[in-house]
Amino acid sequence: MIPWSSFVQKAQSLIDPANFNIPALSSPDHNPSKASLFRQQFRLPDSQNPLQEITADLVLPLPSSSANQGDGSRKVDRAGNTYTGRLHLSERFICFSTQPTSFIPSATASASTAWTGQTHGTGPSGNGFVLPLSCIRRVERLHSASHVFSLALTTWNGLLNKQQEPNLVPQRLILQLVGSRQACERFCDTLKKGLREGMKEVDNLRTVVTDCYSEYLLSGAKGKGQDGNEADTRQPPDAGLGLIFRYPGDARKLRDRSKMRLWGEYFRENGRNATLIRQPTFHKLIRVGLPNRLRGEIWELTSGSLFLRLQSPMLYQQTLAKFDGQESLAIDEIEKDLNRSLPEYPGFQSEEGIGRLRRVLTAYSWIDPEIGYCQAMNIVVAALLIYMSEAQAFFLLSALCDRLLPGYYSTTMYGTLLDQKVFESLVEKTMPVLWDHLTKSDVQLSVVSLPWFLSLYINSMPLVFAFRVLDVFFLEGPKVLFQVGLAILRVNGEELLETQDDGTFISVLKSYFSRLDESAHPRSENPKLRAITRFQELMVVAFKEFSGITHSTVTETREKHKGAVLENIETFAKRTSIRNLGPESKRLSVDDLGTIYDRFYETLYQWEQRQRVIEEETRRQERKKSQRLSMLAPPADTQVGRVGLGPSPTHMDYEAFREFLAATSKWAVADSPGPSGKESSSGKSALWANRRQPADHEFMQRLYRKWATNPEEGLNLQNVVNGLARLKGSPDIMNNINYFFNLYDDSGNGQVDREGILKISEALLFLSRRGFEGTITATPSVENLNSTADRDHAENSLTTDEKFLGSVSAFIRRCFEYADPSHPENRKADQQDATAEATEKLDSFAIGDDDEEEEDLIDVDDAKPVSSPAPDATAQTAKSTTPELDSHDHNRSTSESANPALDPNNPLHITLPTFRMVVLADELLEQFFESYFPQSFHLSDHPHPAALAASSSMSSNLTTFSNLGSIRSSGLAAGSAPVAGASGGIVPPGKGLRGVLDNIVSDGIRMAAEVKKRMDEAQRDLERNALSREEDEDDEDDEDYPRRETTAAAIPGGIPSWGAGAYGADTERRSVVRDADRDLLEGAEVLGGGKEERTSLLDGKDDANHAPRKVSGSAASAKDGGSPTARDGEVISKLVEFES
Amino acid sequence: MSESASANAPKPSSSVKLVLLGEAAVGKSSLVLRFVNNDFQENKEPTIGAAFLTQKCSLPTRTIKFEIWDTAGQERFASLAPMYYRNAQAALVVYDVTKPSSLTKAKHWVAELQRQASPGIVIALVGNKLDLTNDGGDVSEAAGAAQGESESVQNGDEGAGEEDEVQDAVSGDARKVSTREATGYAEEEGLLFFETSAKTGTNVVDVFTAIANAIPESSLKTGRGTGAGTGQTSLGNRSAEDSRVNLGDRNAATAKEGCAC
Repeated sequence: MIPWSSFVQKAQSLIDPANFNIPALSSPDHNPSKASLFRQQFRLPDSQNPLQEITADLVLPLPSSSANQGDGSRKVDRAGNTYTGRLHLSERFICFSTQPTSFIPSATASASTAWTGQTHGTGPSGNGFVLPLSCIRRVERLHSASHVFSLALTTWNGLLNKQQEPNLVPQRLILQLVGSRQACERFCDTLKKGLREGMKEVDNLRTVVTDCYSEYLLSGAKGKGQDGNEADTRQPPDAGLGLIFRYPGDARKLRDRSKMRLWGEYFRENGRNATLIRQPTFHKLIRVGLPNRLRGEIWELTSGSLFLRLQSPMLYQQTLAKFDGQESLAIDEIEKDLNRSLPEYPGFQSEEGIGRLRRVLTAYSWIDPEIGYCQAMNIVVAALLIYMSEAQAFFLLSALCDRLLPGYYSTTMYGTLLDQKVFESLVEKTMPVLWDHLTKSDVQLSVVSLPWFLSLYINSMPLVFAFRVLDVFFLEGPKVLFQVGLAILRVNGEELLETQDDGTFISVLKSYFSRLDESAHPRSENPKLRAITRFQELMVVAFKEFSGITHSTVTETREKHKGAVLENIETFAKRTSIRNLGPESKRLSVDDLGTIYDRFYETLYQWEQRQRVIEEETRRQERKKSQRLSMLAPPADTQVGRVGLGPSPTHMDYEAFREFLAATSKWAVADSPGPSGKESSSGKSALWANRRQPADHEFMQRLYRKWATNPEEGLNLQNVVNGLARLKGSPDIMNNINYFFNLYDDSGNGQVDREGILKISEALLFLSRRGFEGTITATPSVENLNSTADRDHAENSLTTDEKFLGSVSAFIRRCFEYADPSHPENRKADQQDATAEATEKLDSFAIGDDDEEEEDLIDVDDAKPVSSPAPDATAQTAKSTTPELDSHDHNRSTSESANPALDPNNPLHITLPTFRMVVLADELLEQFFESYFPQSFHLSDHPHPAALAASSSMSSNLTTFSNLGSIRSSGLAAGSAPVAGASGGIVPPGKGLRGVLDNIVSDGIRMAAEVKKRMDEAQRDLERNALSREEDEDDEDDEDYPRRETTAAAIPGGIPSWGAGAYGADTERRSVVRDADRDLLEGAEVLGGGKEERTSLLDGKDDANHAPRKVSGSAASAKDGGSPTARDGEVISKLVEFES
Repeated sequence: MSESASANAPKPSSSVKLVLLGEAAVGKSSLVLRFVNNDFQENKEPTIGAAFLTQKCSLPTRTIKFEIWDTAGQERFASLAPMYYRNAQAALVVYDVTKPSSLTKAKHWVAELQRQASPGIVIALVGNKLDLTNDGGDVSEAAGAAQGESESVQNGDEGAGEEDEVQDAVSGDARKVSTREATGYAEEEGLLFFETSAKTGTNVVDVFTAIANAIPESSLKTGRGTGAGTGQTSLGNRSAEDSRVNLGDRNAATAKEGCAC
């Protein structure tokens, strides 16, 4: 059993370091996938993947408004601002950034993560743009004399409104691609495809854009518009509760109007909302604080939630409609908090505000049930709603939960805890003196800082300032929270060094927050210095002094602490859930419960992981990925099943239960492994290779049904614990016998019919087929018969197994013998009779409770000298053949003696007392129920505590019946013979003998099978896996009965599913599985994502060497340009044009 | 409030770290608000993480300064709790007398504390929202402290007798957890037990007084040191009385185990 910790380590290797949402599909070197880095940089939805990229210059025309009004559409060739950067293309977006990032498969990690470093205030996407392809109206290809491959993009900027805006200049930007002609054309081809798709989304774009205040602002409808008539008719879009209840803060003091003017100007020159181009002014304007009415829109833009809204504009309304009237736990929790979210803001003392808050939180709890609702979300959403509409807040919340604050609001809040650790370690690193002081005075920093992060400073700072932090946070990402937090401590450092306890520590900070609007240097001579507020000082410290705190700093530190944090949470969860398991669980030791807990979740986890890999694989094969219409982080990309990461599956289905059993009991391990991984590369079987295959036996199904409160739903931890507690909790043989009987009492009327009896006997053989682990010993008398030391042991064990076989056959016989006839008509009376009768019998047996006597009793009605296999077996000669003879004799005699009972017209059943009697009548069966059966469930008291030792010894004990190969001979010969089929060549001592034994036992199984077959064909359906085996055997039995030798020899060969090889496959199962999984993932990734890029990359590299000439040479033969004609030094070939 | 007279008396003063635990919306913060500010707010902002408040409690022989950690109740915040109950000398585990599930949750917390918190932690089980029950208004009600040492409690022990009939018979009584059930549990686990109403103030101060009395002298010495105060706190919305709190200088604090976190 792998201990939880090592399991955790392995799990970590699958967790993405940069963002928890990135799939485990990353490369084995723990790096997040390129695609996810790409999406993070440009804040794109998860449906987007980097398809093409190329180096390019972005040429922006000089502000046309300032130069000459009106007809400036052809002036683009005039020199304007030029940015050199990289142009990226995804399915639905074209992005340009001055950050030199690259996401092609061969790009170095540093190239793909360039944006995670210092961003100099521009945010990860730098200067440039992120344009949805749907907002590109026309693309032209220009060939200037300088042989540059240029594209001119014209956007829908400002054209989606119904009324024409005054003085609108269509937005046009020029991109000069730098690369070989092929590379450029490949880029253009992909672009063309994307544009065609994008065309379908123009309507979405129109819907989304009209909700943006900027459209209203620029439409001229507002204020001093020349065409005043139209202005009157047009309502401003919903820019949050602030429009109704006023925005927090003093608008004049905030210089809201001038900010508005500046933004208006910026929009006119650089586009607005979806078509905005980011130039340095953009970022500066954000740093000084956003104007009230535009705040929501810019948040939406910088956080990327605009793109989510664009993707499914009606999702919010649809979600509300779909779940209208439904109840949930989350909704209850939300209701509790509605009246207490930013109660100081007038909007949230009104039904209007509370209604909005309720709807947004509720809708989100439906689309992300794993998070549902977490306190603090109410505060954050309330704050958002002051500045944006419900739908905008809904999508922004989604961006927050999935990307900006990963794991913060999850059910375990691991993200919050992790970031507290990260924050602490950053404090330690940047302010060691303060850190030392805190440690010495036992002040726990996270106690103070946790609310900062969890509610984004909103309930720590006065609202106006918290919003300023948010302005930057949405642009720059999570690192801002750390920078501001560090700056708070730095600014207050001296005072904090004097505090001695939590109380003073908190109060210092509280009073600091309350005075953020005061001058930072009140006594300064310099009036300018005096004018600087404490908040401004804070921002400067945060972004200048702590500019070194970058996204990658945060990412790396998170990575470092993730293991410990998750482990803590898991320890806590484990402790809590074990404690809450209820009275039944007290019958097991705490260690046992711990083992069950670990194994339960480990099984579930691995099961989920595999399921996901399989799903992923199928999805890739179907190439459905691009159609996925999802919010940012679909569950498919998270690590399902890891307890610490939040809601994990709590129920295991039968398949997973089999895995659980296989990890618990030897008998639950299948006899043959699946096809080895090398042989079959196709997903599923490769995944299953090299691990311990769970068996599938009717007994296990029964156990599953017995344990489950609701078999459909699956087993939860409680079910498993209760199930095991009943089996192992009381060392009472009667309890175990009853349990077993009940397992087979299908009708619940205290009777097990003929069918059931045979199933029980089969189960007994199934459970015992790997030997008894020393829990059952032969009678002393038998042992005494043997004297020589070495063989003594082997023979004893041989005797035990073989004797057990005899016991089972006797069991069947006796069951039939003592069974009561069933008469459906008067079953009830009959049942009582039967019980009485059985009790009597039991009593009579109890008197002569002696082995010998019993056997005698049985022998009476058996013509042949059968039922004392032990003495037979110990006969010094023909060790192996004799028992087989015996068992076949058994077989025959059983069928004979049972023949009357086998008559299907003569239904019969046994009752619990009968069953008990029959079991107790046999020493071995008694021991079986007394010790072996309960002990075969290995929990913490496993004899091999060390994990590796345990698993290896476990597998080495997994002798299968046919491990012996095809050699059929007497015991000693077999022992020295090479093992044919077993891989690895590890032959444990005594295995030869075991092999013989196994043959014997398998003979026994055949016997049971035969009896059954003769009786009732239909029953076989129940044992799917065993089907072929039985048929084979049955056939052989029919033909080869007299020729014992051949029969036995044929067994290993004739039962392919029992073939050798289980052995080697098991030894390395765990780690190998992991590796195999990852290899597969790796392969899948290359397969799924990378093919095109890879080739393009190669070409690109190739081309780069001898590019310039080629480009010029082929300029004339533009691929799809009509006839390129030189006009004003420009070759225009229309690439794509969409007008609607 | 019982502590007002003592400010001048040179009684030994010591700090006690107290943590409040319990299901969401059972009234943890309200209890604290009542104790600290003698105030009640219908719509209190939910606690994010934890809130920190202090209040003094004067006993005949000494003054106890409670450093109160009021934790968030929502289930998912539970994993943060160890951060707050670390080193706590006392705990208030609160449930809502009108909500049986909250008692279950309270039991879980008690078990958690008994296993994980500092040994010798004084735990009080508190059923809040007594005002919603029929016996809510009058003070004569329950509060048989299991260890029987709370002096100032008006102790009408008839609570044990009335529960079942009362809750069924009388309409308008929202009580769903009988006093007997909770008392029984508290006795079994050796907890102080009270039923309170933060809204009316019933029994609130008594809870804290009882806890103060139950803190063993020895744990005060080794816990938070007494001594000359160095600082003064004036946490935001605290009352004036409150801001004159003597902060124990924490020379003894180093005796505690280093925090692993």
